[in-house]
Amino acid sequence: MTKAAIQGSGLVKRYGRRNALDGLDIEIPENSVTAVLGPNGAGKSTFMRMLTGLVTPDQGTLRVLGEAPSWKLNGRISYLPDRARWYEGHTVAEAIRWGSNLLPGFDAAQALQLVEQLGLKADMDVKGMSKGQEARLMLAMCLARDVPLLVLDEPFSGIDMISRERIVAALIDSFSDRRQTVLICTHEIPETESLFDHAVFLNDGTVALSGDVEELRATRGSVQDIYRQLYV
Amino acid sequence: MNEVTVGGMRFELDLSQPLYEQVLDQVRSSIAKGEIALGEKIPSVREMAQALKINPNTVMRAYQELERDQLTETRRGQGTFITADAEKVKHIRYKLAEEAVEEFLAKLGSLGFTASEIAAILRSKGGEGQ
Repeated sequence: MTKAAIQGSGLVKRYGRRNALDGLDIEIPENSVTAVLGPNGAGKSTFMRMLTGLVTPDQGTLRVLGEAPSWKLNGRISYLPDRARWYEGHTVAEAIRWGSNLLPGFDAAQALQLVEQLGLKADMDVKGMSKGQEARLMLAMCLARDVPLLVLDEPFSGIDMISRERIVAALIDSFSDRRQTVLICTHEIPETESLFDHAVFLNDGTVALSGDVEELRATRGSVQDIYRQLYV
Repeated sequence: MNEVTVGGMRFELDLSQPLYEQVLDQVRSSIAKGEIALGEKIPSVREMAQALKINPNTVMRAYQELERDQLTETRRGQGTFITADAEKVKHIRYKLAEEAVEEFLAKLGSLGFTASEIAAILRSKGGEGQ
């Protein structure tokens, strides 16, 4: 077993009477591309937010890159939150300048290259962008950071097919260039499952199944098949 | 997944089976069929991963296995090349033929055919020899 980049044990998070996380034990292998999967309400976003300290556990322990979540640790995490909009009122070039000033490990030259590869231009106004264009900008900003952990919460949701294909291509390039632990939370399983090394299926705030994706394919079929077996 | 051609080699991946084995098998059979010539350069890990839309780690694993079998060799700074050794390719063709025959015999065996019946079927389907 390889080293774990993220290790959670007995994680509990309560919202009112409901436990979003209900004693979650989870391990994410270092330098893997790991999918966190499950239906709405399974606890995916709560877990993702916990990694950067946006949500604190009521019980249990969480170690991320060997440390407890903190502001200091967040400098080593590139996080694409669900439903985020960061750059309204900026142009693409201004967003990249902002990134250079504020984001640890941010490489402006790579960011420019990424936005072009993703079909955007430096002088575009973020305000006038489509949802797909904005998502591509957000992803470029995240991929331009040389940090040990990349966390993408729903990078594909509500995004057109061409944008999705461009995002997948940018991810493959990024995986080729960099040793980095990548965590992706998505509902777009058929289009993305070929990218995963490892998968964690959540259900009602606990792990229903987890493992090496190639081993899971050999024993149980595609990630999509497994998803159906677990949740239908 | 649809059929994809990369560097002259044809691939068709099934997401319900391990991808690494499929990439490995399909490169092997491309070599055996001569879709890719002896000594020819094969796509880089990144190019292959992009074309197949799969994790580069999966391609890397398949490439390492090819290298271990000495079907490919990596020259530093130049890339990975199919072996120039015709013997190795001959060997892999026979290995693939053996696998196909074993599979065929197992299937007919499970249907209850004897060796002589199988030979008769082969002859009737255009096999010339005894």
